[in-house]
Amino acid sequence: MVQTKEKTNMTHAIDMGAANRAPQTRRLEDEKIALTVRDLSLYYGDKQALKSINLQIPEKRVTAFIGPSGCGKSTLLRCFNRMNDLVDTARIEGQLLLGDKNIYDKDVDVARLRRRIGMVFQKPNPFPKSIYENVAYGLRLAGITKKRTLDETVEWALKGAALWDEVKDRLHDNALGMSGGQQQRLVIARSIAIKPEVLLLDEPASALDPISTLKIEELINDLKNDYTIVIVTHNMQQAARVSDYTAFMYLGDLVEYGATDKIFTVPEKKQTEDYITGRYG
Amino acid sequence: MLTYDILDKQANGMSNASDTTDGTVFASPGLMKWRYTKDKLAAASVTVGGIGVIFAVVLIFFYLLWVVLPIFKPASLEALTQFELPADSGDRSLLYAIEEQSELGLRISEDGRLRFFQLTDGALKAESDLDARLIAATHVDKASSTIAVLTDSQRIVLFQHKYRLDYPAEGERTITPRIEFPYGTQGLQAPAGDRMVVRENDDQLTMAVAEDTRITLKQFEKSTSFFDESVSLDEAGQHTLILPRQVDAMLMDPLQDWLYAFNFASAEIYFYDIRRFDAPKLVQTLVAGQVGNTITAVDMLSGGLSLVVASDDGLITQYFPLRKQNSTDYTLQRVRSFDAADGAAVAALISEQRRRGFMSLSANGTLGAYYSTSERELAEQVLAVKGLQLGAIAPRANIMLVEHADRGIQIVKLHNEHPEVSFKALWGKIWYESYPEPDYTWQSSAANSDFEPKFSLSPLAFGTLKAAFYAMLFAVPLALAGAIYTAYFMSSGLRQLVKPAIEVMEALPTVILGFLAGLWLAPFIETHLPGVFLMILFLPITLPLTGWLWTLMPASLRHRVPEGWQPLLLVLPIIVSIALALSLSQPIEAAFFGGSMPHWLDNEMGITYDQRNSLVVGLAMGFAVIPTIFSIAEDAVFSVPKQLTQGSLALGATPWQTLVRVVLPTASPGMFSALMIGFGRAVGETMIVLMATGNTPIMDFNIFEGFRTLSANIAVEMPESEVGSTHFRILFLAGLVLFLFTFVFNTLAEIIRQRLRNKYSNL
Repeated sequence: MVQTKEKTNMTHAIDMGAANRAPQTRRLEDEKIALTVRDLSLYYGDKQALKSINLQIPEKRVTAFIGPSGCGKSTLLRCFNRMNDLVDTARIEGQLLLGDKNIYDKDVDVARLRRRIGMVFQKPNPFPKSIYENVAYGLRLAGITKKRTLDETVEWALKGAALWDEVKDRLHDNALGMSGGQQQRLVIARSIAIKPEVLLLDEPASALDPISTLKIEELINDLKNDYTIVIVTHNMQQAARVSDYTAFMYLGDLVEYGATDKIFTVPEKKQTEDYITGRYG
Repeated sequence: MLTYDILDKQANGMSNASDTTDGTVFASPGLMKWRYTKDKLAAASVTVGGIGVIFAVVLIFFYLLWVVLPIFKPASLEALTQFELPADSGDRSLLYAIEEQSELGLRISEDGRLRFFQLTDGALKAESDLDARLIAATHVDKASSTIAVLTDSQRIVLFQHKYRLDYPAEGERTITPRIEFPYGTQGLQAPAGDRMVVRENDDQLTMAVAEDTRITLKQFEKSTSFFDESVSLDEAGQHTLILPRQVDAMLMDPLQDWLYAFNFASAEIYFYDIRRFDAPKLVQTLVAGQVGNTITAVDMLSGGLSLVVASDDGLITQYFPLRKQNSTDYTLQRVRSFDAADGAAVAALISEQRRRGFMSLSANGTLGAYYSTSERELAEQVLAVKGLQLGAIAPRANIMLVEHADRGIQIVKLHNEHPEVSFKALWGKIWYESYPEPDYTWQSSAANSDFEPKFSLSPLAFGTLKAAFYAMLFAVPLALAGAIYTAYFMSSGLRQLVKPAIEVMEALPTVILGFLAGLWLAPFIETHLPGVFLMILFLPITLPLTGWLWTLMPASLRHRVPEGWQPLLLVLPIIVSIALALSLSQPIEAAFFGGSMPHWLDNEMGITYDQRNSLVVGLAMGFAVIPTIFSIAEDAVFSVPKQLTQGSLALGATPWQTLVRVVLPTASPGMFSALMIGFGRAVGETMIVLMATGNTPIMDFNIFEGFRTLSANIAVEMPESEVGSTHFRILFLAGLVLFLFTFVFNTLAEIIRQRLRNKYSNL
């Protein structure tokens, strides 16, 4: 039963992918900008991991970071919600503006910033709590205790993450009993439950099977109507399928950045073309 | 096997690849076989090791059980031979005795003859004649085998039956009996009467002779000749008591302080104080059981404190004199009753020589064995012979003889090695002799041999838990909070210093901790008690206060300390607050506690203060337990997956919220097992509690008093206990209790931990 359903979903997803690739070149100049990266450099001790990056992330679009392993794409992503603060040796120079506020200013409350810029990690990391409590976690952190509000938000977030139908009858089961794909969608639901402005996805599907991957991609497509999404991925097809803009990074440098269609069809740099055509990576 | 095949294929594939490059063979079939063998060997040795550990633990358990089990073996009586009275002249028997080796018996009969006979067949071994007809005979002192007889010429003759052991050949033993008269064969002039009781000690000899309702007391003082150490007796006084009823029996304690007279028909007991011999005083008259009863037999238990009185309502009741509270007056206290083996008709009671046990004889041939401390009827047996009247128990309480109505003697074997043990004696409140009320007491030995051993494990178990409680009270907050901070907040550089440093504390031999606690810490705390309490007050205030003051410092100063190294800033405030607390100690003691807080506690508050007390043990053992708890808990917190912490932080949680809501619940199984292992260590710890407490087995939660733990008790008493004795086996029982205690506790802990782990698994 489930299998047939997933099969139909898959064909559906492929159709959608086809629809997405319809010729329609986006231009960054036309977009409203959510995040601006200015001369951002990051050092791990003496080693420079990001080299003076300049970048603009458009609002309510999907921006993908691609590049070979160790190119700094995840590091850059983690700069957006200051997750690199947790690394003792990390040191940051330059600016990262959310709207027109530098998030690395001294007076920024990191916890509040992270509520505005949510993040989903590579490996699903639900808390060892019930499904309900996982989604309600961020709300409870904010001090929301009214059951009605919690119930409504949990349902809304699970529906938003396309998980509601699968889990509505077992909301109070342990989240660790779910499949990997469900867990990842739960984590996304957990992130959107606190209604962030930006959602950072760090290789969200790399630990998942193809069917779950397609579901996540579908979900990303739905979510971009409401959220600015930045996704790091290894999988170029995935970047091509889900993103509106793509940044190619190599050894800490931002090599090329532009509309996805353009990057994948007529890249300006040779390095980009080599990577996309699979010469290295 | 499948995995090996795959490995083989992979290895072969690789070897092919390497063949092409440099020609070396990566994995020959021989090497593969060797790898396989190594794997098998490793698996086998791990299995053997694991099974060996389980086997060793089970072996220990069964060894303990094997030593302990005999104390739970029920007593039994086994009828051996019976024979005619030896050299029966048709006279009435007055008294029997058995010698130490349980080979010979002594029969004293009316015709004044003392006949020694073999207990195996009744053959006459020796015979001695007192040249007088006897009216009565009584044991004066069973330990020195002294017997007194009352002749029809109103003299009391004391004699001792003694035995010489010879070993004429290997494995052969002959016992030669003899009679000694310490005060001459002529004896002492006695008052007129037909019942008597005689007691002596080193200073004096007192006799009481009764005739109808009159008791005549006569006392002699002993004086020892300087020349030949012979003892002579000088009459010190005589006193006559008139009782309301006829005197049927009398008992006197060995110190000659109390005289008990009994009227059987009315069941009345007359309790006399004869400590002032010139003015004997009737302290109390009481009825054994209910009015209308009849006393059928009486005797005094070993130690000379307790009486046992059998009455025709089927009860055997124990009494002892007890000093009234806040008074010098005594009262005869009814302590406990036993249901007589044979309902009503107990004809005689015979007490054991060395223990608080006694036997009942009945006319219908029933024998009953009882033990006073454990409040048990141990065994009963109906013999084929009837009309039991007289008997004797061997000093070692392994054989007894009873005379029956058909002028014969029945020998009975007593299997009764450990009568002192019952569930109540081990765990319940027992009314011990001369105690004002039932109590939990452990006192396994005393200066004199005929004292009542008190084997209550309750105070020891209590002490064990008390020690563990105070140790955990000190250790748990410090160890857990330290572990959480170290694992979660501390910088990794500092952590790499702190964690090994604390773990090294575990390597400290506990004997050194105990030694320091007992010889340095205990006196230190005694002299700085207010300081110690100020420290408990100051330190928890100092730490957050320092943290708060630190946040008020200018940012430039704060940023000079790298993230996670701030705890080092606390070192100075901690030293200062300890120094402040200790320097305030003397002034506070002088100002509020009259110069000495321990004395003040003792005098003003009524709280006993021992120098070596639970506070000292709590600190020392807490110190020993901290590394264990810290190390395991730290690992548990540290091993919470980083992606969970990050997931929580990415949702806008503060580090504190992440700690409380995600890290601690996830680490809880590990932290729980840290606590359990720490608790298990505190329960089993021996050297610290041995050296830092007074080892007083009392049940009191007072932090200023000592205690004795099960483990320390074993360490203290095992060297002095006789192998195979009840005491020895109870010490093993204490070990078994300790074993079961930790076993049950660890099992429960493991079950809980498994449940928690299942809840937080798949991470």
